[in-house]
Amino acid sequence: MRNPWAQTGNYRTRYEQDVTIFATYREIVSVVLLLVALGLLPLLLERSQVLVLNFTFIYAIAVLGLNITTGYAGLISVGQAAFVGVGAYTVALTAPHLPFWLTVPMGGLVAAGFGWIVGLPSLRVKHLYLALATLAFQEIFVWSVGRIPALAQGAAIPVEMRNFLGYEIGFRNHNHFWYYVILLVLLLMVMAWRNLLRGKYGRALIAVRDNDRAADAMGMDPGRTKLLAFALGAFYGGIAGGLLAYFQRAVVIEEFTLAKSVTFLAMAIVGGLGTVVGSLLGPAFIEYLRLGMERLSEAIKNNPSVQQVIPAGVDLASALLPLAFGLVIVLFLMFEPRGLYNWWRLIRSYFRTWPFKY
Amino acid sequence: MGNFLQFLVSGVAVGSIYALAALGFVLIYKSSRVINFAHGQFIAIGAFAAYALAAWAKLPFWLAALLAILATALLGFAVERVFLKRMVGQPIISVIMVTIGLASVLDGLLYLTPFGSGNFSYPPFLPPGGLSLGGVSISYTQLLAIGFTAVFLLLFTWFFQRSTLGVSMRAVADDQMASMSVGVSVERVFALAWAVAGLTAAAAGIVVGTVSGLNQGGLIGIGLAVFPAVILGGLDSVLGAVVGGVIIGVLQQLAAGYLNQFVPGGGTEYVLPFVVLLVTLWFKPYGLFGIEEIERV
Repeated sequence: MRNPWAQTGNYRTRYEQDVTIFATYREIVSVVLLLVALGLLPLLLERSQVLVLNFTFIYAIAVLGLNITTGYAGLISVGQAAFVGVGAYTVALTAPHLPFWLTVPMGGLVAAGFGWIVGLPSLRVKHLYLALATLAFQEIFVWSVGRIPALAQGAAIPVEMRNFLGYEIGFRNHNHFWYYVILLVLLLMVMAWRNLLRGKYGRALIAVRDNDRAADAMGMDPGRTKLLAFALGAFYGGIAGGLLAYFQRAVVIEEFTLAKSVTFLAMAIVGGLGTVVGSLLGPAFIEYLRLGMERLSEAIKNNPSVQQVIPAGVDLASALLPLAFGLVIVLFLMFEPRGLYNWWRLIRSYFRTWPFKY
Repeated sequence: MGNFLQFLVSGVAVGSIYALAALGFVLIYKSSRVINFAHGQFIAIGAFAAYALAAWAKLPFWLAALLAILATALLGFAVERVFLKRMVGQPIISVIMVTIGLASVLDGLLYLTPFGSGNFSYPPFLPPGGLSLGGVSISYTQLLAIGFTAVFLLLFTWFFQRSTLGVSMRAVADDQMASMSVGVSVERVFALAWAVAGLTAAAAGIVVGTVSGLNQGGLIGIGLAVFPAVILGGLDSVLGAVVGGVIIGVLQQLAAGYLNQFVPGGGTEYVLPFVVLLVTLWFKPYGLFGIEEIERV
């Protein structure tokens, strides 16, 4: 009998072993440790630092969804922000009447419905055309919200939740309270993601992505599989949007524009397409990059010697962000197409086999 | 009725700009199956380059326009050489995402210049006013737009039907393997497609600039309106790009004329092209002139 704690490689011999979530005992322990660390983390942090973490986790949920459509199904989506927006506006409209554990899933379901409609062409055409369908939806969404009085024509709609089961949520504990809610939802969504994609449906998705003709011949329906991927991706986006609405205490259209969709795509690519770890690393990387860029443009603005060089009418903050995001997308695609996940994999396998080379 | 004819004429003028912009887009798609999401940025860069040369370097406008068009063609060529050539052999989805990233980079670079905010207009070089025919008036700038597009279309048609390069581009679009085996340099064709795309994008940008002024959001918006035009016309058809462009232009003018009064806030002309795009994808995904992909194992 092999010692499962010192296992250094993959000794799977049966199918049941191949579909297990955790390959070794060490993985189970490290996941438990990670969860404990994440649970204790906000106790050590300032409110402003928890704020960044909350955004990271919310975006991680949206990126998980994007990783189903783009990562697994191979359909480029430049409309994830719009699906996030659908979820957020659903919550904004229902929050005064319903508790949040109902409104957030509703946001997800409504977004999934829209995803299904937008994905309909996938029954007939190949992946490239789908990117344009999502682009169209993104533009139509932003335009429509700006014209609908019930949605405040894109201006801020407040979303209030002052207490939860008798627990007062005030200004001081707002970030910390939502940290735990978001972490819990993220955990559920990750578990659902893993279970969904390691099973029959996930393998169908991979088959359709890699060769849809062969998948068709094997009895899978490529159109339906892709359509479901679209709806699922949108569902994740909607859930993220619902949480975003509650956490920000308001819904504004600026959060759901084409630029934001490109940001989500950047997060997915930087993290590594089609991976859970990547869906967490990517948003974290991009969020901290955004913070860094904002600090940098502030620093440049306040520096008098640089100020004279910059011509009038140049807004550094709005220039540096797209520049950095775009560069990150391009550079990662060119030099590390497997994303940060690949670095993580290399580090992990180093420690797993340590002290051996392989 | 007079109104309707007026909308039709303005629509054709706007549509011919879309057609011009769409030509380069279709060319890239035809030769390499890449959807270029940075096309709007090419348009903006071409238009602003012409402005910078004309207003700041005080060149005569026609020279400034010519130089800007050449510079943007060079930019397209450089983009292909630096970024896309390295992506050969990668899945096409990665290549398309590179163009999305590139669009973001070019956007950021534009924001670094004074062109990132505010409106600009070319020094006037055409007499104001225009022709009037039976109650329908058309300004000289609109006439120029239509004329410019017509000239480019004729040049394109000649290029693809008669010149060796044009024929080899069509060959590559048709079948890469086969054209490689008869000695066509696929690499050169790709680079050329991107250069020509930059060229037509800049031309479209300059025409837009003369008709309605320069502003980054507006110019990139033209790039987005190209997508509905090419999908409607058929993604791989040059003729379709032109017809689709003109139809989208006319629809926009009609929407602005007849629909806006029913929608609070107006602006239906901005969203209608995307509705057309979605509906086309639902019911006739290969567009009016596109070649339907039929797959045989």
